Amino acid sequence: MWSFFKKDLIVFWRDRKGFLLSLFLPIVLIVVLNFAYAGLFTSDDNSVNIRLGIVQEDDPVSDMQEFEALVEEMELMEEEKDELLQQAAIHEPGTVLYHMLHRPEFKDWLDMRELSMEEAVSQVEEGKLDAYMRIPARFTLDVLRAGILGDEVGALISIHAEEYSTEVQTLQEMINQFVNSLNFQFALENTNESNGGEPVLPIGGVERIESSEAYTMAQYFTIAVATLFSLFIAQTVAMKTVTEKRERVFNRIVLSNSSPFAFLMGKMASTFCFCWFQIMLTLMVTQLFLNIFPDHSIQFWSGLVLIISVFVLTVSGLSALFTTITLRLQNLNAANGIFSLIIMLMGLLGGSFFPLQGLPVVFQKMGDWTPNGLIQTVLIDWIQNRMYSNLLMPLLVLVLFFSIVLAVSLVLFPRRESL
Amino acid sequence: MLETINLSKTFKDKKAVDDVNLYVNKGESVGLLGPNGAGKSTTISMISSLLKPTSGDVLFNGNSIIKNPAEIRRVLGVVPQEIALYEELSAHENLNFFGEIYKISKGDLESRIQEVLEMVGLQHRQKELIKTFSGGMKRRINIAAALLHQPKVLILDEPTVGIDPQSRNHILETVRKLNEQYETSILYTSHYMEEVEQLCDRVYIMDHGSIVASGNKSELLSILSNDDTFHVQLSKRSEKLIDAVRLIKDVRQVDETENGLRIIAKKRSHFLSTLVHGAEKEGVEIIHFQMEIPSLEDVFLHLTGKSLRD
Repeated sequence: MWSFFKKDLIVFWRDRKGFLLSLFLPIVLIVVLNFAYAGLFTSDDNSVNIRLGIVQEDDPVSDMQEFEALVEEMELMEEEKDELLQQAAIHEPGTVLYHMLHRPEFKDWLDMRELSMEEAVSQVEEGKLDAYMRIPARFTLDVLRAGILGDEVGALISIHAEEYSTEVQTLQEMINQFVNSLNFQFALENTNESNGGEPVLPIGGVERIESSEAYTMAQYFTIAVATLFSLFIAQTVAMKTVTEKRERVFNRIVLSNSSPFAFLMGKMASTFCFCWFQIMLTLMVTQLFLNIFPDHSIQFWSGLVLIISVFVLTVSGLSALFTTITLRLQNLNAANGIFSLIIMLMGLLGGSFFPLQGLPVVFQKMGDWTPNGLIQTVLIDWIQNRMYSNLLMPLLVLVLFFSIVLAVSLVLFPRRESL
Repeated sequence: MLETINLSKTFKDKKAVDDVNLYVNKGESVGLLGPNGAGKSTTISMISSLLKPTSGDVLFNGNSIIKNPAEIRRVLGVVPQEIALYEELSAHENLNFFGEIYKISKGDLESRIQEVLEMVGLQHRQKELIKTFSGGMKRRINIAAALLHQPKVLILDEPTVGIDPQSRNHILETVRKLNEQYETSILYTSHYMEEVEQLCDRVYIMDHGSIVASGNKSELLSILSNDDTFHVQLSKRSEKLIDAVRLIKDVRQVDETENGLRIIAKKRSHFLSTLVHGAEKEGVEIIHFQMEIPSLEDVFLHLTGKSLRD
């Protein structure tokens, strides 16, 4: 197997034009797409207009008074009471939320109006509003009690929308920012460790706000292009077998009594190495120039390497299958056409040409049946959650895909009749 | 050592090889001649275990290679008509790769590579990529690759097609050396009759998938008709002389040529004295007299109705 592997690597390397093209084309494409779409999104940012209804049921003034009364009743020294009240005054949630929503950078694209509950509901239903945010009664008091006194959470902010959209997502991110800001401040200033540490903050809504990272367009381009080009390497390897077949080198290999497994292993190993190197180089270069993945932790990158490695394994299996088909088919142009078709189909279904998120769920599910589609799903999950446990099943599916493809390749591998 | 028994191959409805029986003894050099499409390559593919016959068998030392192809592959060297090498690799890298997959031990491999390179006269070019070689040099490395594992039987499929005379001589010399010094059995196909005449002890002639004749050179030549052909150059034309020759017993045909006569007569016929006497009588001087010696090319033409290069 080592001989085949070594030979295939040298053959790849000596084809300098093809080699460099395979390595750098994805990088160039990602950079170009990023700049092209970055421009689009920048202009989009200004045109996004979130129409938000605010249903204000909270009465911050009365809540603050009630909170002061609560503190006064506590068996604390006067200095401690003053400190708690001062903390409450600084981080009074209603004021913090108000300031956040009225930041100058939001003014141009966040269209807010205060409405009653009935008005908000009807306007969202009629499409006059993207969403409404309900700040419930006693919200200020509950947040202060939870954040400063460590009491249980009562009232929750909720966001209601007719349908999930980019605008609603943006709004969620804003609220998330608000929650994080409060969390951070309370945690920083809470001196009473025994009283529960970080306060639980009132959050909620139609879409629950979570601490997951966003999956950016730049990340999408990087992963989509890198995985698609890897699939093309499987085709390239198979097409190099065309030369081996046409020039009768393959006959010479058969005459040496070499096992099909060794031959295919050589193809797979060289595909694996080349693909792995291609994807890693793509990730490294784009990371260096575009900072695609903001998380620089070892945990994140080791997970990424693991996911990519399993994906590349499936691509190597695919190259074995393509190689076998090439050896079986008499019409080599037809073989090339079939492989291109398969890869294009995989690219289409797996979301390598455009994101599937906007398509019906059935298409998104179909994408998970392709290695590139599944790996995108896995990577999105990894970027957002970094949970090793979430990787197990999809990676096992990919290993299973590889095993099946390899088994089929070995069964179909021609012994002599189809040479 | 190697023999085929009623070997046949049918592709769809077309019979490419039909009941071919041939054998190659140990240390023997055998030629396989035939026009394009005669079935030579198909026969060779079956003998080298790359193609399964529709019927018949190939025996190596009495054992069927159809049932156990691995046995013959170990001792068989095949030089295909195509350049079965990696163009992007150097000559040494190619030989190293083929040597490794033939499982030649690491210790022996380098010396074997140098040995075969020396044999084909390309030791000094071993580091260069195959794609930079001339056609002749490629063919020599093509042969070297088939010799690495020291095969007992070497099959060469038109190994000298389209190459320069120097490379051609080198190849022929290599094959002769292998046959004479190492007692390698050779099965050689070629379009060049003179190569087969030079190299081979016996020749099989194939046409339309069948063996139409076989034997050594003299046996094949005897296939030709029982006539001899003579060319007579005369000082002048004489109608009476021509008529006189036509009347000689055993003379079958007399044709006028540019400067004399072409006479076809029965083998060992005694017409020469009559011809000389007749010429003297007519005052015609015989300037030159030559008997035409038939070649294998003539035999081939006679048997297949085609020239070898058709």
